[in-house]
Amino acid sequence: MAEDWQPEFEQLVDEHQSMVFSLALRMTGDRGLAEEIAQDVFVELDRNLRKLESPLHVTHWLRRVAMSRSADALRRRRVRSTDLWVEIAEHHGATVEDRTSPLSVRIEQLLVTLPESQRAAIVLRYQEDMTPEEIAATLDAPLATVKSQLQRGLKLLRSKAEAHLKEFVRGA
Amino acid sequence: MDDFERELHAAFARRAAPPDLKRKVMKQLWEQAGHARRRMVWFERIAASLVLVAVAGSALLWRNIVDRRRGEEASQQVITALRITNHALERMNIQLDEQQKH
Repeated sequence: MAEDWQPEFEQLVDEHQSMVFSLALRMTGDRGLAEEIAQDVFVELDRNLRKLESPLHVTHWLRRVAMSRSADALRRRRVRSTDLWVEIAEHHGATVEDRTSPLSVRIEQLLVTLPESQRAAIVLRYQEDMTPEEIAATLDAPLATVKSQLQRGLKLLRSKAEAHLKEFVRGA
Repeated sequence: MDDFERELHAAFARRAAPPDLKRKVMKQLWEQAGHARRRMVWFERIAASLVLVAVAGSALLWRNIVDRRRGEEASQQVITALRITNHALERMNIQLDEQQKH
């Protein structure tokens, strides 16, 4: 029940910081900006905590706000994909953890070159393992639009991967 | 789901957040709470000053009213005294007039 749920803010940060940071990172392609967005999202969570009724509600709310803040940040910066490539090389790629395979890193880098709406759908689908219905609810978009964005995004990403990741494909 | 989609799932596993993210969030909240506290202190100071001004103003107004009332009472007493004197003088005049007639 909503009344029984007593959220602990610090515990919520511990639980969800990875999700929020990863969403922002994959949407912006900039580690520093992603960290700022994640901070803002959690500060806003603190302000809105009383309105949230369950752990599931918190997760849903955090996804929505993280995606929305990331879109705002991208709009403010108006970063072109070429600039993003430089930033990825400088910030993002440099901090990739050992457990991440080079192929995964390159796929992640290609993701940043997709149109924003397709990127959002792809990230929620493959990072958060969400259904198109859940993605539509999170992004406040019609289901048909989300399905179309997923299909187009996947197709575009696949073609980019085929063009840019041949060395990995041959090496595999 | 094909191999590419499986690779996407693997590539898009959640990344660990920066180790100091939580500390930064808590610091930001603490600073915001500090600003709010400082705003509250200023608000309290302004409210206290307004109350002081209102009390001092009321005291001055009350004193003014009391002084005016006392002044009115004093002038009323003078008028009454003058009436009594006037009345006494009139009676004396009447008595003098009667003595002169006799």
